[in-house]
Amino acid sequence: MVLRECAEKSAAFQKLKNAYTHREEAAKAAKAAGKKVVGTLGCDVPEELILAAGMQPYPIYAVPGGPMDMADKYLEYAFDPMVRAQFERIVDGSLNDFCDAVVVSNSTDVLIRIYLYLKELKRVETDVNFPPVYFIDWLFTRRRMHQERNRLTISLFKEEMEKLAGRVITDEEIDAAAVVCNRTRELLRKIDAFRTAREMKLTGTEMLVIIGGGFYMDREAYNKVLEELLEELPAWPAVTGKRLFYTGSVQTDTGLYARVEAAGAVIVGEDHDWGSRYFERDYDREMPPVRALVDRYMLREFSSKKAFVSQRVEALDRETDAAGAEGVLFYFHIYEEAASWDYPSQKESLEGRGIDTLHFAKMHWPQTQEESDAFSAGLKTLIEGKEA
Amino acid sequence: MAEEKSKSKVVKKLKATAAIGAYQKEWFAGLAERVKNGEDFAYLNADVPMEIFRAMDIPFVVNQWWAAICGAKRMTAKYYGLLNQAGYRDDLCSYCATALAESLDPDDHAIGSDGKPLGPWGGLPHPTIAITRLTCDCQSKIFELFAKNHGASFYAMENTQPRKAPLNWYEIVEDNWEDLYDTDRLDAAVEELKELIRFLEEKTGRMFDENKLIEVMNLINEQEAWYKKTRDLIAETSPVPVTVVDTINAVMQAQWQRGTRFAADHARSLYEEIKALADAGEAAVPNEKYRLMWIGRGIWHDFGFYQRFEQKYGAVFMWSMYLAMGADSYIRNHVEEDPLRALAARYIGMEDFLHMPPWNSSWFLQQARQNRIDGVVYMVPENCMQAVEGSYFIKKTLEDAGIPVLEFKADPVDARKWNAQSMTALVEEFIENRVMKGEK
Ligand code: SF4
Repeated sequence: MVLRECAEKSAAFQKLKNAYTHREEAAKAAKAAGKKVVGTLGCDVPEELILAAGMQPYPIYAVPGGPMDMADKYLEYAFDPMVRAQFERIVDGSLNDFCDAVVVSNSTDVLIRIYLYLKELKRVETDVNFPPVYFIDWLFTRRRMHQERNRLTISLFKEEMEKLAGRVITDEEIDAAAVVCNRTRELLRKIDAFRTAREMKLTGTEMLVIIGGGFYMDREAYNKVLEELLEELPAWPAVTGKRLFYTGSVQTDTGLYARVEAAGAVIVGEDHDWGSRYFERDYDREMPPVRALVDRYMLREFSSKKAFVSQRVEALDRETDAAGAEGVLFYFHIYEEAASWDYPSQKESLEGRGIDTLHFAKMHWPQTQEESDAFSAGLKTLIEGKEA
Repeated sequence: MAEEKSKSKVVKKLKATAAIGAYQKEWFAGLAERVKNGEDFAYLNADVPMEIFRAMDIPFVVNQWWAAICGAKRMTAKYYGLLNQAGYRDDLCSYCATALAESLDPDDHAIGSDGKPLGPWGGLPHPTIAITRLTCDCQSKIFELFAKNHGASFYAMENTQPRKAPLNWYEIVEDNWEDLYDTDRLDAAVEELKELIRFLEEKTGRMFDENKLIEVMNLINEQEAWYKKTRDLIAETSPVPVTVVDTINAVMQAQWQRGTRFAADHARSLYEEIKALADAGEAAVPNEKYRLMWIGRGIWHDFGFYQRFEQKYGAVFMWSMYLAMGADSYIRNHVEEDPLRALAARYIGMEDFLHMPPWNSSWFLQQARQNRIDGVVYMVPENCMQAVEGSYFIKKTLEDAGIPVLEFKADPVDARKWNAQSMTALVEEFIENRVMKGEK
């Protein structure tokens, strides 16, 4: 993790970095304090509901380089490497001592398969022990009937969370959780403005830590740390470099961003959910809770996985404009294929607007040596604007 | 070559296969003519409820059928080159992206120097409507791009996941679909149909008539009931009168004509023909020793593959999903009570029956038992997330029941990636080491 001195010296940032690095601490502490912990898989699990039930959300992340015995046994080769590693952590028992449940949202097709496989494993391989699994079957197509259907889906999910929590989740509790989550999003947007400003004071690497740290903290404590950090940021030194927007596979650690930024660029925005998509769109407290939840998760900016090509072209144009990006890095892991169909149209639109692009598909995780060399060479071209 | 020697004689004898092939050509020419005369023309993914289009008399072509035609015409190498030139990857979704690739071909409707059309069957007429369901993350993107290239309207239908999944779906689906599916899921599917109908009425100016849908649905029931009889007949007959080489084409092509009098009559004629062969004691493979089940899409570019094990081992591929899905998954009785709900109960389950554990694995086992299967050859398609269908569970279910399974990866339409020799060797080894040793 390449961090600047200002970040290393900031007490607020260090708290975030600690949570980002030691991801189980808060969940285990919550568990020890008698709270239930809910592992989440997919970026469309409404955390407001989990928090309202007095439970602690815990995004299940992939650990690189570990054994993959269970994934190799149960999954076909066509599951992308991060999802494989996430599946491994669920079924190898890693979560059993602190997670009470796993909630999967259908944020990509592959996660639907993971849910079905977990359900089937529970049925036929009873010796494989992992927490009970719940599923949220969102519809992302923007039509009235799908919004209505989503309201039913979220009402059913709320009932399931009530059963898990052992009590009713009141509207007031959801509202209180929404206040906390909206405050987080507001603070993150303000902080992110230091990254997207003309004079950049934050790097993409630092922003990943700031966002991801909060996933593994008590949320009110997180907001306090963000407030502290916000106070400090005006005094942080400016960073320079080619302004890049990142689109593609979720980055749950800072490795890739640090490489890009060490090569002379700054990642000023991204469309994955461990980045700026996380704080896009608030929960509208004027609406009844289920409507507000559906509105927040169904109608935020199109994800790179679940949208039509035309929607993705427009989304990326909007996002790069907002971030003031000069270039776009497309980066997709092997077997994360859907967005490959968007790329030619996106590239055409971006390049028509004077924005450079660099595309990597079918990348292993972690990269092979050959991929790593090609990545470095490509970056050099993109950043320096000449053949490496 | 062994391939030549082992060609099933019956494949040439089946009039039904030739009849549907000829009909399809004639029908396609008629369709092209209608499109030329300015009618709307819909291009549909296989999981779209085409019954609505049939009832509204909107001409349509089904993506997977057309991909098979393009594959059989060996167009794929050219098409993937075109995708590549346009900046797309050429190793993705070969089955579903064939028509998108074709839409990039400037010669699709051209005539070659030999006076023959360059595109398959003279090329795909320009659709005015392109519709898919969101049963995987790629399909909507492919269809939207395809629609744009043709100047067609793009429309997508949503997909939902079941909460309940009774294992014996094939026993209850024909009459008791309310027990099979979550009620709200069926409600949502009916709403999808109504929305689709509204879109089509607006787009084409034609009115949807529910009475016509009832007629279409009943014709389909008639057709699929013949497939059930055919499947049952083949299952109980040894040696089998026909192989998958005979049935796949005859059934798959006619399925795309379902809801017509022709298709229902064709299904009857297929049954009668096979029944006559069975009654006459005609065997597809007279030395039949081992009955093989094929799980996966058809290898359109190398149909001879299925016959390479007949003479040497007496191993006959006698089961494929094409006939058996017709037999078990399409019939919906008492349609008149609520035709749209009956149709909803047909279209939402199709992908799940085939691709979702435990529905697929429990059905494959039931079918393997009914057909007295000695070994299963299971092709897991490359580059398709939708067909990632719990192969572990399928294999385990069958092998726990004592039926050996050979699982391998291949691409059903991309001839570039198919190595006939190594695939044949793989199956031979399987037959010798597992099927012949009587694991079952
Ligand atoms: S993932 Fe499979 S079903 Fe989906 S478009 Fe690709 S080939 Fe077709």
